[in-house]
Amino acid sequence: MGTLNSTLKFYMPVLTIVPTIKSACLPRLVQLSHLHTSPNSQAPVPALPEKGGKTRHGIIPEEIFQLLYPKTGVTGPYMLGAGLLTYILSKEIYIINHETFAAACMGTVIIYGVRKFGPDVAAFADKLNEEKVQKAQEVKDLAMTSLAQAVLDEKKEQWRAEGRQMLFDAKRNNVAMLLETNRRERVHMVTNEVKKRLDYQIALQTLHRRMEQEHMVNWVEKNVVTSITPQQEKTSIAKCITDLKVLAKVQQAKATVAI
Amino acid sequence: MTLSFFDQFMSPTYLGIPLIAVALTLPWILFPTPSARWLNNRLITLQGWFINRFTQQLLLPLNLGGHKWAALLTSLMLFLITLNMLGLLPYTFTPTTQLSLNMGLAVPLWLATVIIGMRNQPTAALGHLLPEGTPVPLIPVLIIIETISLFIRPALGVRLTANLTAGHQLIATAAFVLLPMMPTVAILTSIVLFLLTLLEIAVAMIQAYVFVLLLSLYLQENV
Repeated sequence: MGTLNSTLKFYMPVLTIVPTIKSACLPRLVQLSHLHTSPNSQAPVPALPEKGGKTRHGIIPEEIFQLLYPKTGVTGPYMLGAGLLTYILSKEIYIINHETFAAACMGTVIIYGVRKFGPDVAAFADKLNEEKVQKAQEVKDLAMTSLAQAVLDEKKEQWRAEGRQMLFDAKRNNVAMLLETNRRERVHMVTNEVKKRLDYQIALQTLHRRMEQEHMVNWVEKNVVTSITPQQEKTSIAKCITDLKVLAKVQQAKATVAI
Repeated sequence: MTLSFFDQFMSPTYLGIPLIAVALTLPWILFPTPSARWLNNRLITLQGWFINRFTQQLLLPLNLGGHKWAALLTSLMLFLITLNMLGLLPYTFTPTTQLSLNMGLAVPLWLATVIIGMRNQPTAALGHLLPEGTPVPLIPVLIIIETISLFIRPALGVRLTANLTAGHQLIATAAFVLLPMMPTVAILTSIVLFLLTLLEIAVAMIQAYVFVLLLSLYLQENV
């Protein structure tokens, strides 16, 4: 493969030079190899003229009028035609016979047909050619629009490619945020668990204290209730009654003052 | 150079050379060869369009075997139409007014269709001699009639000859009568002549077309 490359590199300039030398020194050598193998000519085709030759009265070429103009002026060719006709008829070189009338009829019909339908037929022929050209033009236009569109699309893709850095940053930020969120959730969970443990301990301690308190209160109440003598009970009830009477009097007095 | 009625139908010779041969090459000379260009001038474009459309229409009813006849039928049509139309010009000779020419075209082509039919599908070709759905007693008579009709088909050529000859003769007669006429009557005769000219143009084209169409019909039966 390497040797092939090197040999090609050596001979490439030679291969490109030889044909140019050939075509320079021996012009048309290529043509000789195709000598008379087909009836078609290999010569380049000359361009068609846009319009046909100019004619006067539809048949007589304009060149004849131009030819005779210097010597005989404008009426020259007409005089020539009239004189020729008269000569032919008078010398009976052409005899008027039935074919003359038939010719006159046929001539009328032909001239009428050409004058009436000529432009339409020409327009039709032009339309046929136009359609051919238009088809090719459509293909070309389609190719051009599709290529222009492809260029625009390519530019858009390039612009998009520039923005990929932003895309990567955004993605990286996303991932970082996800990780952060995850970490925070787990920290939150940990604190919650720890708090639950501590709350349990606290609840346990408060429960202990409350039970001790209740037990002590019950014991004190029991002792107090058992230590109340009947005499103490009577004196306290009498005091209560006298206090109540005093209060009632006070209240009654307040009520009458209010009214 | 006084002309009689039938001068237009005499096969012209010059120093012993039959000029009908030259007259027959005129259509070939008059049609331009399609060039190697992509866009042509109007004449070649129209010619190409006409030939394409005509061949397409002609080959519509024919199956694949008949498509081999495309070049023959189209060229025949162009030949006949050109000969007929050129014959309408004054002082021209129309080769298709000669029975020999027309029979020389019709008989070999018709015979070719018959032989092709007999060789490739003899049963079907013979079957054409009896149309479908005929009542049984009529069969013998009908076969004879159909055979006669088969053998009378070369009347294709006779038809062409008769039509063209009649047309030309009518024009010649009307023009001849017009010659020494008084102006008042001459106008009427001129109208007749004008109408005949129009008819002749139509007939020229139609007869050529009918010739080729009937041939394609015979081909369609047999191929």
